[in-house]
Amino acid sequence: MDEQLNAAQARDHIEMVARILEESQQRLCAGGEFFVVWGLFGAFVTLLGHFVASRALPSQALWAGLVALIAAIAFSIRRGRILRVESERGSLLQREFFNVLWITIGMGFVANLAVFNIFRGIASAAIWNFADAIVLFYIGMHGNRRAQVAGIAVVVSLVVANFTSGDVGAYVLAAGVFAGYCGFGVAELLSRD
Amino acid sequence: MDDLLLSKIRLGIVAELLTSEWVAFSELHRALDASQGNLGAHLGKLVDSGYIEETKAFVNRRPLTQYRLTSKGRGAFVAHVRQLQSLLKETS
Repeated sequence: MDEQLNAAQARDHIEMVARILEESQQRLCAGGEFFVVWGLFGAFVTLLGHFVASRALPSQALWAGLVALIAAIAFSIRRGRILRVESERGSLLQREFFNVLWITIGMGFVANLAVFNIFRGIASAAIWNFADAIVLFYIGMHGNRRAQVAGIAVVVSLVVANFTSGDVGAYVLAAGVFAGYCGFGVAELLSRD
Repeated sequence: MDDLLLSKIRLGIVAELLTSEWVAFSELHRALDASQGNLGAHLGKLVDSGYIEETKAFVNRRPLTQYRLTSKGRGAFVAHVRQLQSLLKETS
């Protein structure tokens, strides 16, 4: 078979493959709208939990968090389907990203609903920031500097909240997830071609 | 070496599919800069050999043909590229 392909042709083929693979290692396109929605959800849930814990709102108000969660999931599924139809290529990297996104959201959900005796009050809110930072750093690992900066902002909010009182801490966490996720989402939307 | 992948365009198709879950015909046409007829013929050979899978659907009343790499195709690509590299080493 080697006689069918000489060294020059083999080099030409290898170079073509290398070029295609290099071009396919495109930066992870995260979908800004998802981050805006989940940033709004994260900040809303954090503040809602804080107001309920401080008795500014009745405990029944927590149902609003569930409604917001369902709305965010419904939006994500619907928008994801539309994007899949509109796009002409489904990247494996993109699929991996959505796996990470769904796992972190799922774990945040479990921590908030099923492990609430361990993650009480502000710890429950901090879980969302923790999960959000993982998602942002995952995107950042694939060359997205905006995601790296946003991830750092979320981590900083966690650290700052740790050294502030409960009231202020909740606002810091909400601001962190809002700035990190919504800020990153808006930046991604603005950078679209 | 793999007979099917000795063709530069077929090797290009498999390389394009390597890092993608799926790729539409129109995107392969754009990426590989081949005529539609020529591309279609090469895709047909790869489908027949089981290296790639073809899915046809209608989206918004427009036909959409997608291709994805099979594990057989992935294995053949890796082995073929290794042999290309060996050939280059032997001759250098």
